[in-house]
Amino acid sequence: MIEAFLFAMFGAGAIAFALGMVFRRNPVHCALHLVGVLLSVSGMFVLLNAQFIAAIQILVYAGAIMVLFLFVVMLLNVRGETPLLTPGAAKGFGFFFALIGFVELLWVVLSRGGDEAVPERLPALPSGFGSPAEIGRVLYSTWLFPFEVTSILLLIAVVGAVVLAKRKFF
Amino acid sequence: MAGQTIPLEYYQLVAALLFTIGVVGVLVRRSALVIFMSIELMLNAVNLSLVAFSRLHAQMDGQIIVFFVMSVAAAEVAVGLAILVAIFRNRETASVDEVHLLKG
Repeated sequence: MIEAFLFAMFGAGAIAFALGMVFRRNPVHCALHLVGVLLSVSGMFVLLNAQFIAAIQILVYAGAIMVLFLFVVMLLNVRGETPLLTPGAAKGFGFFFALIGFVELLWVVLSRGGDEAVPERLPALPSGFGSPAEIGRVLYSTWLFPFEVTSILLLIAVVGAVVLAKRKFF
Repeated sequence: MAGQTIPLEYYQLVAALLFTIGVVGVLVRRSALVIFMSIELMLNAVNLSLVAFSRLHAQMDGQIIVFFVMSVAAAEVAVGLAILVAIFRNRETASVDEVHLLKG
């Protein structure tokens, strides 16, 4: 019962905040709405027994990445765009293609992934599911190589960001 | 949190809706900053979907992939915002409609 209530709250909150993010004029408001989405999604992570992912979501996304966004908003001092949406036919096409994509997603979800049998009853969870210890065990055994590659990716991103920020364009 | 009573389709529906809102944001907004935020929104929708599937199969691998998605998102935001700052210093605008020349 309380789970249904929490799911309804987080789900409705996530969708409402997302709509606010897309249709608000002021970029600072958009960023704060995105924080609302991230917090709601992390609440749903907890409902799905992914406690560690939920904590990481708040720390990394709602903490670090959003501070980066707000910092750039302040740095650039961008005004809200005067026509909010892109003008002309591009707007209509945008909504149209988004609608097509949503219908496809809806069809996939409601058809339960085609003919592959999805269990009616959810399987029982092994003990420690979603705990940091279990995440670490899987991450450093099965997924060790992708994990190491990620470190190289982050290094490249840091170097790229520094180069882009220091370079003089003409 | 022992018994799961919410059908996982509901989580997938919320993820699909969030993803679609993100697509709308990328397609119709003009500010490059908001387009970046919409991309983050889409990544989050996919993360939610992955965690729901991880619960469905009672396997941790979906949550590990969420980990990697988050690190890729962090890298993407760092580089993307650096590009945005460079464009803004050059052209005094953050609107994608006014940055339409490939040549400098």
